[in-house]
Amino acid sequence: MNGLEKAYLTLQRLEQRNSAGTPAIDAGVGIAVSVVYLAAMLSVPMGRFSMLIWFALYPIIAAAIAGIGFGRILVKSLYIVPLVALIGIFNPIYDKEAAFCIGKVTVSRGWLSFASIILRGMMAMQCILILIEEYGFTGICHALRRMGIPAFLTDQLQFVYRYMSVLLLEALSMRRAAEARGYGRRNYPVKLWGTMTGQLFLRTIDRSERINRAMQARGFEGTLPELHRGAHHRPGTGSIIYGILMCAGILALRLYDVSGVFGYFAGR
Amino acid sequence: MHMADALISTPVALGAGIVATTLLGVAGYKVNKEKGINSRIVPLMGVLGAFVFAAQMINFTIPGTGSSGHIIGGVLLAAFLGPWAAFLTIASVLIIQCLVFADGGLLALGCNIINMGAMSTLVAYPLIFRPLTRNCQSTPRLLCASIVACLVGIEAGACCVTAETELSGITALPTGTFLALMTGIHLAIGLGEGLATGAIISFVVKSRPDLLATAVSDSAEPRGSLKKVLIGFGVAALLIGGVLAIFASAYPDGLEWSIQQLTGSTELPAHPDKVAGVLQHVQSATSVMPDYDSSFSGIIGAVMVVILVWSVTSLLTAGRRHKTVRQ
Repeated sequence: MNGLEKAYLTLQRLEQRNSAGTPAIDAGVGIAVSVVYLAAMLSVPMGRFSMLIWFALYPIIAAAIAGIGFGRILVKSLYIVPLVALIGIFNPIYDKEAAFCIGKVTVSRGWLSFASIILRGMMAMQCILILIEEYGFTGICHALRRMGIPAFLTDQLQFVYRYMSVLLLEALSMRRAAEARGYGRRNYPVKLWGTMTGQLFLRTIDRSERINRAMQARGFEGTLPELHRGAHHRPGTGSIIYGILMCAGILALRLYDVSGVFGYFAGR
Repeated sequence: MHMADALISTPVALGAGIVATTLLGVAGYKVNKEKGINSRIVPLMGVLGAFVFAAQMINFTIPGTGSSGHIIGGVLLAAFLGPWAAFLTIASVLIIQCLVFADGGLLALGCNIINMGAMSTLVAYPLIFRPLTRNCQSTPRLLCASIVACLVGIEAGACCVTAETELSGITALPTGTFLALMTGIHLAIGLGEGLATGAIISFVVKSRPDLLATAVSDSAEPRGSLKKVLIGFGVAALLIGGVLAIFASAYPDGLEWSIQQLTGSTELPAHPDKVAGVLQHVQSATSVMPDYDSSFSGIIGAVMVVILVWSVTSLLTAGRRHKTVRQ
């Protein structure tokens, strides 16, 4: 399966998820908790690995509440590892000062910060994946609008998202046609590629003009109306309690060294 | 070039977020004012954003390398929409890539919008592409302008990535070495992006010459503006300074050299003043990389708790997931 097909299937799956039903927690609360989590987790100093590791609890709990299997989220979050490892791999080379010893093995500060970067990357990725899986893109856009994000941006996002699947299909059919006549060639010389993509571009422009005329005929006045979720929707009591408890828990993990307490008792 | 959350610290992410939000606000105001929200620009921006996303999935061969690449689209969008509308569109694509495909971090979104959106649409397009192509739509000229503009846009973005990562204190790699790595890798990417952008623009100009001309005349600004020249020199100075830093970083700078000649070391002795002591204490307290802790038993305990919670929640939710699948 190529990138085009994967992207198209991802969009279809998210659409199905979005129309499956109302999520347990309000999308606005989910976004706010995710931002608090990311800010708190990423503000943990690089060397405080023992403090950082406790933040791994949030994705597990959030996935469980959303009814999403954490195993799948964990596997997906592994995709980020090569990217962040590329930057972090230099730390063990440049920072060889000892951090602590496990028996006769000395762990350097560089290796500790390398592990910290990998863990941060995976946890941040897990947080975003849960957000996407739980609310879908349309749900997130509606929540952003209710949170006061200007309509020009949320409308723009919805337009791009709506026509992404349409244009992905067009690109897919062009690619299939080229593959069928290309005798196994997977990439194209720049000149041929320019002609192909230029054609797609011209079709896009024509399509946008048709869309514009259709929208104006139906009374479009510059902003998209709220469709199936009310503009004055308020989060329920359960969502508010969830938000308060989660934020309090996350801030507690950031402010207090839970590992220190754990280590103290384990030492005794 | 999509930055992950793991590569930045919270203060840097918040700073970049504020800058990106301000730029988005200005872009929204400019697009509303210049084009009018009822005009065809709204669906055009939306559909072109989707086009960039779809076009990114079709690869082209990079001549002479044997590898392939895809378009990023900043300069291309700016050529047809104008810089501010293109910036809004690229920002939308980046937000969707983050929120739908988890490509790039949520907290790093501000950084990504600056690095990939602002640098190509608000720096490279108005300072390089437009002055180079003004009143001339010949294929060689469009191709050259696209290559130079894309190179500048991508290299400026790579410099921003280096600055943001270094400011966050994430990597132990010296700034000069990191910058050399980033700019070196992105040189090839910029060249490929430039060729691809030039190929599309040349094709569209041949088929529908009105499209490019309309966009340029819509967003035309006075020619020969001193402010633009100064900004251009500023960007060039930053880039040249960054490249020179590669050679300079391994050696003591002028001040350090002077101190070394006087004291035999590049470091000055501790200041006896009380205020200086207090400030040093504050600095160590607010330092991004303070002392590393060594509560290894705490780490083991935390790992055990995480595994335990995962196991318990998996058991609790297994039945629920099974039910959902059956439905």
